[in-house]
Amino acid sequence: MGLMWSRWCAATEVIVSCLVVAAAPAATRPHYGGTLRIEILPAAQAPAAVGVTEGFIITNWDPGLRAVFSADDNAPGGRPFLDTIDIEMARPLRDQSVDLELGRTDLVELGPNELRRQTAGRRVWSSSPVRLMALVFGPRIDDARVRQALALTLDRAALNVLLQRQGEISGALLPQWLSGYAFLFGATADIAKARSLAGELPAAARTLSLSADDPAMRSLADRIALNARDAGLTVNVVAPSGNPDVRLSEARITSSDPAHALAGVAATLGLGESPKADAPEALYAAERALLEGFRVIPLVHLPVVYGVGPRVKGGPGVTPLGEWRFGNLWVEDRP
Amino acid sequence: MTFRTRLLLIFAVAVAAAVGLVELVDSARTREAFEGVEARRVDAIVVQFDREFKRRGAEIARVVESIAASAAARDIAIAPDPSPYVDQAAVIAGTHALDLLELVAGDGAIVSSAEWPARFGYKEDWLTAEQDWKSRGAFLKREEVPDGVTLALVAVGAAVYSDRRLYVAGGQKLDREFLASLVLPQGMRVLLYRNLNPQFAPSELIDAAGPAARAAELRPLVEQVESARRQVIQTVGSGATAETFHAVPLTGYENNMLGVLLIGSPRRDLVELEAAMLKTAIFVAAAGILMGIVLSWWATARITRPVQRLAESAGSVAAGNWGTTVEVASTDEIGRLARAFNRMTHELVDQRERLVQAERVAAWRELARRLAHELKNPLFPLQITVENMQRARENYPDQFDEVFREGTATLLAELANLKQIIARFSDFAKMPAPEMQPVNLTELAAETLKLFEAQLAQARVRAVAQLDSQLRPISADPEQMTRVLRNLILNAIDAMPQGGTLTVRTLALSPGARLEVSDTGQGLTPEECERLFTPYYTTKTHGTGLGLAIVQSVVSDHKGRISVDSEKGKGTTFRIDLAT
Repeated sequence: MGLMWSRWCAATEVIVSCLVVAAAPAATRPHYGGTLRIEILPAAQAPAAVGVTEGFIITNWDPGLRAVFSADDNAPGGRPFLDTIDIEMARPLRDQSVDLELGRTDLVELGPNELRRQTAGRRVWSSSPVRLMALVFGPRIDDARVRQALALTLDRAALNVLLQRQGEISGALLPQWLSGYAFLFGATADIAKARSLAGELPAAARTLSLSADDPAMRSLADRIALNARDAGLTVNVVAPSGNPDVRLSEARITSSDPAHALAGVAATLGLGESPKADAPEALYAAERALLEGFRVIPLVHLPVVYGVGPRVKGGPGVTPLGEWRFGNLWVEDRP
Repeated sequence: MTFRTRLLLIFAVAVAAAVGLVELVDSARTREAFEGVEARRVDAIVVQFDREFKRRGAEIARVVESIAASAAARDIAIAPDPSPYVDQAAVIAGTHALDLLELVAGDGAIVSSAEWPARFGYKEDWLTAEQDWKSRGAFLKREEVPDGVTLALVAVGAAVYSDRRLYVAGGQKLDREFLASLVLPQGMRVLLYRNLNPQFAPSELIDAAGPAARAAELRPLVEQVESARRQVIQTVGSGATAETFHAVPLTGYENNMLGVLLIGSPRRDLVELEAAMLKTAIFVAAAGILMGIVLSWWATARITRPVQRLAESAGSVAAGNWGTTVEVASTDEIGRLARAFNRMTHELVDQRERLVQAERVAAWRELARRLAHELKNPLFPLQITVENMQRARENYPDQFDEVFREGTATLLAELANLKQIIARFSDFAKMPAPEMQPVNLTELAAETLKLFEAQLAQARVRAVAQLDSQLRPISADPEQMTRVLRNLILNAIDAMPQGGTLTVRTLALSPGARLEVSDTGQGLTPEECERLFTPYYTTKTHGTGLGLAIVQSVVSDHKGRISVDSEKGKGTTFRIDLAT
């Protein structure tokens, strides 16, 4: 464990809170064999999207439902301990958590609600805050005052409470651990100013529709609607389908290089191509330029959190960026 | 309409009216009784519902109290940072079957809200305003939820640990699920109007299945209850779709009007029962009326049969059968009437016989008087002439021849006069039976009038013939009818000694024909008119009084009818109606 920790920290060269160990390290030795059972929420349509890469090759693929990876005896870093990784997709978070508790699976995703549940024998692997939750305005809202008014109503601390305080409040696209200047972007509410801006708007412009891409984030959308109401804006939370005025979206940080990460986030959120910036000042300017006009309102950066069952030994199997690394994991039927 | 028909109609109408009235009263009283029973049933159900409502409230208050007293509430109350419990209310509400649950800190800030998790941190100042929530029990309250506003039955409990306080406000939504969970008798339904908008909103009127049907019909009732703030009972709709509603106002803990509970009892059963009763009543009434008509027909037949016999007998008497009698079959009024009728006809026969005898005697006396009178007049000159001749023979023999010649001439003249008188009487006695043949009265009148032209001119009488040329022939004896017309014309001429106008008129009758002879003479008195056709009665100084008697006799022999209209000073009209 200690070796792996050191290696990952050396590789990413960032400060991470990537390891939360709820139980003492198992006094067992690594051995070959066994199947790691994983349940995830997404219904991936291609094996590469699942995220199992190093040391395993795909052997069974049922798009959107199930994927089975087998150990690659000829892997460059050597054969993994596990024989197979069996992944069930499109499994609701709540069911995943129950399955983990019942011992039907070994690795599950944990949402805020599931994270709160205290489960005996469960370990939690968490990445750095790499998931940006942000409000993204559609083209219909062309009045910047509307966007700014909504931005000023947001109580990010309350949103973070709804997220079980997992996240980091942020007004920036890149997290503080990655850019180092995120604190420079304001993230505090100013209801008076928001009310003043909203008062200048015609009545029709004060009504917006909002949808959350992830239904689990419905409570965040509700809170945003509540905050907006305090400023005289009417935000109706609608179903994800359709073409809402504002979307509560998630953008994943996929690179430890801030410039690449910013470009990725900008692309994901539909902000276009970000200016090339090598120096921190230029990167800051580029990010500020992207946020100019309030087309996107960053809310919070969240980590990727997994619950791990007692059969799983070794690890952690998650990098600070939330990627899977299962090469050094093994399973034991008897914990 | 015959007496029997009229009687039958009266009986039938009386029976129908009686049956109808009985059915009407019976239906009204039955309906009243049923509606009374229905009203008592609904009242009982309303009371039962009220108890159920209160029981629900008590149950909610008990659950809320138990939550407030739970270890979970204690943990939240004493936690330095309650934010980890932001989702706790939903969990607790789920385990306690509450729709709404808010855990509120002592300063009024929401720690956790089951119905609106995003609302944590917001203030609920109304909770901190009241100190003794426990004694208040459950109450109605408008509650904001993410998708709007709802009405809820809410109770508040408080957990107090040292200086830390946690309010637990929990309840159940008054929605269709709540209504569906209420136990109601078959056929009844309960509706809830949630007064969540300034104006009546049909969508807020719900029943156990969702938005209530016919919401618009209930609007006046809802508004009436909201205005009066007391229970109102009203029937909505008509016919089988009508429904009686007990509308109960629902007020909140601040006595604000939050809704109206409507307990509906359909009147379909009652209406169907009434319809069935009406159908039965109509059937019974129809049968009763039919039976009444049959009985009336039988009764009227029994009643009218003797009357009918009496009528027939009276008709027979009128036809001249004066000896007609009816059978006396009863001792009632009809029987007495029959006996009286028989007595009357018997007396009529007796009187007629007596009258005939008296008239016969009178006629003979009149005949004798007339004969004596008529014969006496010629006899007196005969006697004088013979006595003159005797006196001349004895006293004046030289003049006897002269006297004899004059006397014999006088005797012959008077004898001729006597013969004429006797011939007239003989004619009257010998009136022959008419020999019927088709006769055109118009032609006959014209021809007869022509014969009198000279006489009329001499008498300065203007003749006017108003004769119907289209008159159809009638059956008559032309000779006798000519005699009739002649007599009437002569009478008219005699009636106008100073001249005047004689009008002869013929016209058609249906059936038959009419002949009228009018003069413009002095006219007759009513008494004279009455006696005019009596034989030997005359108003003239030289008449025998047989002319009009002969006219009446001829008309009678022709089955006709003669009448006279006269007005003193204006003239007289004789009118003869003859059948074909």
